[in-house]
Amino acid sequence: MDVVNQLQRQFIDYSASLHREGFLDDQFTQLQKLQDDNSPDFVVEVASLFFEDCEKLINNMARALEQQQGVDFKQVDASVHQLKGSSSSIGAMRVKDVCIAFRSFCEAQNREGCLRCLQQVTHEYSLLKNKLQTLFRLQQQILAAGGSIPVVE
Amino acid sequence: MSTASLITTWKVRDVVPVPDQFPTSLRVLVVDDDPTCLIFLEKMLRNCSYDVTKCNRAETALLKLRENRNGFDIVISDVHMPDMDGFKLLEHIGLEMDLPVIMMSADDGKDVVMKGVTHGACDYLIKPVRIEALKNIWQHVVRKRKNEWKDLEQSGSVEEGDRQPKQSEDADYSSS
Repeated sequence: MDVVNQLQRQFIDYSASLHREGFLDDQFTQLQKLQDDNSPDFVVEVASLFFEDCEKLINNMARALEQQQGVDFKQVDASVHQLKGSSSSIGAMRVKDVCIAFRSFCEAQNREGCLRCLQQVTHEYSLLKNKLQTLFRLQQQILAAGGSIPVVE
Repeated sequence: MSTASLITTWKVRDVVPVPDQFPTSLRVLVVDDDPTCLIFLEKMLRNCSYDVTKCNRAETALLKLRENRNGFDIVISDVHMPDMDGFKLLEHIGLEMDLPVIMMSADDGKDVVMKGVTHGACDYLIKPVRIEALKNIWQHVVRKRKNEWKDLEQSGSVEEGDRQPKQSEDADYSSS
């Protein structure tokens, strides 16, 4: 089988699994559709921005939750709200879902619950980052072999 | 007196440039402190052939609007921002520039949407925003201009009550 076809098949299967396992939702497909000749690296750029932002927000949450004197739950909630917004705009469904639960714990001022969610959100973010890096690597390989990236609906 | 009577004889559609086709180059100012959302919105708006300026702070947005009063046709702003609340920005814009403003948020709670309505937002979009929702934002610009002309028309219509219902346009022009 042609190398390009093989790679494309791999890409399609991998994309499908990411959607099936809930890592990505339809919003990610919308993001891919926006990529065009004017901005050929759009998806990678947005993903990089998202990861940077994620790290910053997770650090903010960790710092706020560490405060022994008294946790400012409003501050934690503000960061979680932002993470929820950016993860939903990129289609990071599992990260977004943790944020929803996280917000309830913030509202209830439950430090233990918040810490558990922080752990979960960190875990989901790392997983997603790895998966997307694999996806982007596949993309690069397809382009290097002279093929085009298939659009997965 | 003559200016007012001239206005009442014009039909709104003669004056307001209502586009026949999809209007391009609508000048949009988009404000959001979330960098991922901001870049996403910018791309979608550019794909709609709009002229986009992006801002990650409400204060900066206000500065840009004040510096260039006629430089934008519409503003799209997030509700939750660290430096200035989106509703405050909405109020300022309403008072100072009177541009149509669309609010956005991941928050779809009824009271937040209501707040948008009562503060004068012309629309409220729930995030994540789709390109389909952005394609038609030009309607808010046209509607606002149409309403402004209607107001002008109605303020001149005090004259109309004194006049005969069927008057030729020539007669009005010559009556200056």
